Amino acid sequence: MSLVALSELLGATVRDASGTVRGRVRELAVAPQDHPTRIAYLIVRTADGERMLPPDALRSAGASVRAATDVAQWERFSPSDGLLLLKRDLLDQQIIDIHGRKVVRVNDVELESTPVNSHLLLNVVSVDVGARGAIRRLSKGVVPSFTLRALLERIPPRVIPWQFVDLLETDPARRVKLKIAYKGLAQLHPADIADIVEDLPPAEREAVFETIDEEVAAETLEELDPDVKVSIVESLDKDRAADIVEEMDPDAAADLLGDLPEEQSARILEEMQPEERQEVTQLLEFGEHTAAGRMTTEFISVSEISVVDDAIEALKGFEGSREALATIYLTGPGLKLVGAVPLVKIAISSPAIQLSELSEPYLACAPDTPEDEVAALFDKYNLITLAVVDEHGRIAGIITADDVISMLRHRD
Amino acid sequence: MLALLKSWRVRIALFLSVVGPGFITASVDNDAGGIATYSVAGAQFGYSLLWTMIPITIALVIIQEMASRMGAVTGKGLSDLIREEFGLRATFLLMLALVITNFGNVVSEFAGVASSFELFGISKYIVVPLAAFVVWGIVVHGTYSTVEKVFLSASGFYVAYIVSGVLAHPDWKAAALSTLTRPESLGFRNYGYLSMVIGLAGTTIAPWMQFYLQASIVEKGVTARQYNTSRLDVVVGCLFAAIVAWFIVVACAATLHTSGQYNIETGAQAAQALRPLAGEYAYLLFAAGLFNASLFAASILPISTAYAVCEGLGLESGLDKRFEEAPAFYWLYTALIVFGAGVVLVPNFPLFHVMVLSQVANGVLLPFVLIFVLLLINDRELMGAYTNSRWYNITSWITVGVMIVLTIAMVIAQARG
Repeated sequence: MSLVALSELLGATVRDASGTVRGRVRELAVAPQDHPTRIAYLIVRTADGERMLPPDALRSAGASVRAATDVAQWERFSPSDGLLLLKRDLLDQQIIDIHGRKVVRVNDVELESTPVNSHLLLNVVSVDVGARGAIRRLSKGVVPSFTLRALLERIPPRVIPWQFVDLLETDPARRVKLKIAYKGLAQLHPADIADIVEDLPPAEREAVFETIDEEVAAETLEELDPDVKVSIVESLDKDRAADIVEEMDPDAAADLLGDLPEEQSARILEEMQPEERQEVTQLLEFGEHTAAGRMTTEFISVSEISVVDDAIEALKGFEGSREALATIYLTGPGLKLVGAVPLVKIAISSPAIQLSELSEPYLACAPDTPEDEVAALFDKYNLITLAVVDEHGRIAGIITADDVISMLRHRD
Repeated sequence: MLALLKSWRVRIALFLSVVGPGFITASVDNDAGGIATYSVAGAQFGYSLLWTMIPITIALVIIQEMASRMGAVTGKGLSDLIREEFGLRATFLLMLALVITNFGNVVSEFAGVASSFELFGISKYIVVPLAAFVVWGIVVHGTYSTVEKVFLSASGFYVAYIVSGVLAHPDWKAAALSTLTRPESLGFRNYGYLSMVIGLAGTTIAPWMQFYLQASIVEKGVTARQYNTSRLDVVVGCLFAAIVAWFIVVACAATLHTSGQYNIETGAQAAQALRPLAGEYAYLLFAAGLFNASLFAASILPISTAYAVCEGLGLESGLDKRFEEAPAFYWLYTALIVFGAGVVLVPNFPLFHVMVLSQVANGVLLPFVLIFVLLLINDRELMGAYTNSRWYNITSWITVGVMIVLTIAMVIAQARG
């Protein structure tokens, strides 16, 4: 078992069983439908066109390649788009490093060559993104190979194991054939995905958002820079966009749709479920920079005569964001806001206590309160949530501290 | 009426949202070196070189337009694309040449800063370190949109040259005529005249612009659909830059050339010589313009070099990263500024040789960059429907061909001294 670099193999001379030089290695192909890491064959440029040479017909592979079969047995190569070609699709291209949570460029690819019954198995094990791969390629053919090997051994490697690599491919048809699914990426925290997505070119961004789970996509979208957010949603088709927007917090969704051109946001709204659509439309009607424009309509309110147990039931059924859970609001006759109970109190009180006994003094503001005043209230009273009430004293929505933080951060 | 007003507002807002990269790039093109070349051209040959302005502007527009189109369509910088399509070795050599030529440019910008302030009797030992510090700070502490605003204001300040051109009371009719008429073929037999033509073309189209423009289009997030407005930005920017250049030539032609002062070498000397001829204001504006242009270009070159090199070579880059995360990026950026400014302060430093070396690197680099640009922009897999049309292609290959011949000629001329 030994490691061999893609850059060593590319351009290596290929000898057939008789020992005669027959050509040079041009490409290495992986067929992901058959095996995710195994090299299906080397593409060899011979005097008589391009031929495929599978590793099980190889005796050795390195700076020179020795085949166990005769050139006449090597099949002719015909291109197919279900192949991952290491030089074309990987070398010098960008990939997502799941472990390091960033976008990196591939300097070299490391393969593991395992001898099995007098032939070889070649597997992709890692990609080299550090100086070692770069220097190996830059000095190939310039520096004598033994000096180069000694030099390279002194450079600490920076490699990413293959299982932590997500490939980037923009063509949807090919993506399916290559089984590229951004599996690793989708497991990261949405804020990390957002950082990675911002580093990608538009076509790749779109590809990521077409593929990952809607819920993850929605959370990621909320974390993105407003301009990037808009350009991504504009590039998606309206069904997909609507699916993702539905999963977003209504206030974030309203902000986003407010930033889109009118006809486009109308088309997305049309595709949304009636319930979500109504919530978002309501929010859209308020000015973006007011309390109502910043609030979410997903919060917990229960009647003031309920007990702690009822509040816990309401918590279980709640689908909104976790930030909105911090306070449970109490309503009186005519659905007027009459009290607020912090989550902590619910957690430490016995199930039968009536909620009105736990109620604390609370703060509320009108829907048209400017966002600056909202921020001032949060600052002065150290709030976690703030209720927004309409002219009849009914609670219309709440603003959470994280909304205020992002509002302050994004103000120009 | 209201709807009409609104549609205009939308249109203007749309333009303002993409204006910037093209305008800034074209303006920076009139840097310390550019101002020196235009001044010398005006002083030595009067109005007779003004005809070069129109063809040079066309070439500039064609070449810049391709860079910005590539940025908008692919969303990738030029060094990224070169790396992806032409491999590591080509990228590495190209980046090496880019660093050398841009280092020379940075040196000449700081020399411009120094000489513009020496006109006012302020020592370069005060001004240059201060300028280096400002340059370093603006970029490290600004966001893209604030930096762009600073840069756009700096571009606006080039109006100083237009005013000083007017104050020089040129012969407008002669100037206009020699801009629009064909040059006399007799001039080309003169070696000095010919090398000046080459110099003008060479100073206008430089490799760094392609990298900078495409990168800032990407950073601004311009997409293929907004591209029409972005093209307007490029065209307007190039026109503005050409008008500024025209006025510099005219100002020097109307004063220095007319009074027989042919032998100037730098922008600062031109400003000095203008003083008794065109008056105090023209002198002040010319000097202030030189300072603005030098500082402006000195702010852009190091950062754009650091970005291009790190992206091409796959090193971490970006001002949103911390120093430990992107060491190569920050080191390269800081080194370009520190050494670029430092060299100007070293007594008896062979500044001239650095410039010549950088010009040669520039000349070697430019043909490759332009050819890569043309190959990339015609790559259907990359550009889809946005490749060059047939006529555009013919025009741009001719432009690039002429530029390459001129650049090689300039390198040879420079090497022969």
